Amino acid sequence: MIFLLAWRNSWRNKARSIVIMLSVAIGIFAGMGVLALYKGMMKSRIRTVIDSEVGHLQIQHPEFKNDYHPSYVLPDGNLLLTRVRSLPEVKIAAPRSIVQGMLVTTTSSAGVQINGVVPELEYATSQLKQKIQTGEGFHPEKKNEILIGKKLADKMKLKPGSKLVLTFSDTTDNLVSAAFRVAGIYQSGNAPLDEFNVYLTMQALNELLLTGDSFHQISILLKNDEMLTKAGAQLQQLNPSLLVESWKELSPETDLMVNTVDQYSYIIMLIILIALAFGILNTMLMSVLERTREIGMMVALGTSKSKIFLLVFTETIFLTIAGTPIGLMLSWLVILYFQKHGLDLSGMGEEMLASFGFGTMIYPSFPGEKLFPILMMVIGTAVFSCLLPVIKALRLNPVEALKR
Amino acid sequence: MPKTVIDAHTISKVYNPDTIPVYAVNNVHLHLEEGEFTALVGPSGSGKTTVLNMIGGLDKPTEGNIYINEVDITKLSQSELINFRLHNIGFVFQSFNLIPVLKAKENAEFIMLLQGVKKKEREARLQQLFKEIGLEDKMDVRPAQLSGGQQQRVAVARALATRPRFILADEPTANLDSVAASKLLDLMEKLNREEYMTFLFSTHDQRVIDRARRVITLVDGRIASDTAAVSTEFPHG
Ligand SMILES: Nc1ncnc2c1ncn2[C@@H]1O[C@H](COP(=O)(O)OP(=O)(O)O)[C@@H](O)[C@H]1O
Ligand SMILES: [Mg+2]
Repeated sequence: MIFLLAWRNSWRNKARSIVIMLSVAIGIFAGMGVLALYKGMMKSRIRTVIDSEVGHLQIQHPEFKNDYHPSYVLPDGNLLLTRVRSLPEVKIAAPRSIVQGMLVTTTSSAGVQINGVVPELEYATSQLKQKIQTGEGFHPEKKNEILIGKKLADKMKLKPGSKLVLTFSDTTDNLVSAAFRVAGIYQSGNAPLDEFNVYLTMQALNELLLTGDSFHQISILLKNDEMLTKAGAQLQQLNPSLLVESWKELSPETDLMVNTVDQYSYIIMLIILIALAFGILNTMLMSVLERTREIGMMVALGTSKSKIFLLVFTETIFLTIAGTPIGLMLSWLVILYFQKHGLDLSGMGEEMLASFGFGTMIYPSFPGEKLFPILMMVIGTAVFSCLLPVIKALRLNPVEALKR
Repeated sequence: MPKTVIDAHTISKVYNPDTIPVYAVNNVHLHLEEGEFTALVGPSGSGKTTVLNMIGGLDKPTEGNIYINEVDITKLSQSELINFRLHNIGFVFQSFNLIPVLKAKENAEFIMLLQGVKKKEREARLQQLFKEIGLEDKMDVRPAQLSGGQQQRVAVARALATRPRFILADEPTANLDSVAASKLLDLMEKLNREEYMTFLFSTHDQRVIDRARRVITLVDGRIASDTAAVSTEFPHG
């Protein structure tokens, strides 16, 4: 009966109840919207990290990362490459030779990481071809061609066809220099990477490094993301002396960002709900005070304190919970729309987004995994906001209340 | 020998005892037996409500004890009092007795529900009660669609539903026109006669006073006269 009473009381002041329901709905909608945006950004960031930066997994000599000495090639690299490719989870595997050096033009110089790649494989592994903005990319018949990032090109005033010199040490610690011609300028969504990475053909780089047909790294794309843990463990087991790393280790800032944003989104939700809680608290307090006489009469008739508590509590829960499905439905529909059509954030500044590694098109994603915690938080909000009204109702003295 | 249901010993209620004490009720003795139909009368401010509230366990006397069926209710805690009221006392208030969101029959059912009476029993009792109050056709109506007199009759049905020891009614006719007041009194009298329900009601309406079998008059918080006392102490005037 208390529930029936609570239910009918919730509809007593329709306008007020609808305001509360709508504010809960809007709060949840806003919260879900922010979470969806975050999730979309994180997903696209992870997608970018995997598909165009580091791949799912990389294999290297364990010492290589320490000082990037070119002598730390992968032992029996080509055999390893064949074995890796034969794993069922592996979609594609690309070898890379890597050295750190200086890029010098007639007017300036910059420290860069020089990646020697097999063009066709690299195009498929890190989408290097799609990233080329100007220039044609590597020509099979030409040697000494280089791809540089847009940020670096702008800084060094380089254009397709410009000449530059790379200087680095080879496996025998001799300093080598060679001239290259810019065959293309690429741009990914990640400006810091664009500034630092330049690409040669592996063949050209290996001749200078004196590494023959060896290389330093295998970058692997799997058939799907879920295979990461299993494939990583398997590769490590097969090659115990080598270093197998996943994108989470290769791009720790991305992993950190994903986790931070996760916590951040809870904080945002919490702030929204706290704001809501005060609105609900206020409404419930009004509703209790308006019914002073009625509640006093109920107490006079012998309604126990626990039933009065239950009544006010249930009314608060009803009001709060009623808005929840509306908010969820609304956010689901809107998110679904933008998930399909994308949300253009170029208004926020392309440069700014790119410097954090984000594109301007965001495809929000419904944070279904957060549904349960959000529902818990909403209930927590209801509990919090009914406390004061409940205390007011329980303190009510029937004699005073009935005098009104 | 008739059973005593209310026995109030020298009860007083003092407001502002520390500054200017106001004796709302001063040294009142009140003794009520089962089956009585008694009116507590007196001008506004004479202490009627205060006396009824103390007897009903809503308010505690500053001095004195109140025994309801041999239980001293002045010794009960807040929550014990709530439970005591629920199981022993029926209340009818002056106005706005009913919960507006509940239908008439749900209002009458309220105390039975609080007491945990079984559904079948409740249904049967409701049918019987609404017949008795003459509102069988209004069971599913909300209080707002009932007249003041009809609302008070539903309140009486609610008070009566679980057959309490007695029913306290504080100026139950104050907001009713004389026809409705008379009908409510008819109902109370009938219940008193047929169900042997004890009534103690306050009023300052002479037409209501005339229908009481015993009249206790309060003036300034003291009992000025009591027809029962008169009839026992001074038989035949
Ligand atoms: N809370 C209170 N504080 C001070 N005086 C009060 C309070 N409640 C009632 N009184 C006083 O007690 C007296 C009796 O009041 P009441 O019992 O309501 O009389 P009645 O019901 O006969 O009109 C009145 O003089 C009233 O002013
Ligand atoms: Mg009064």
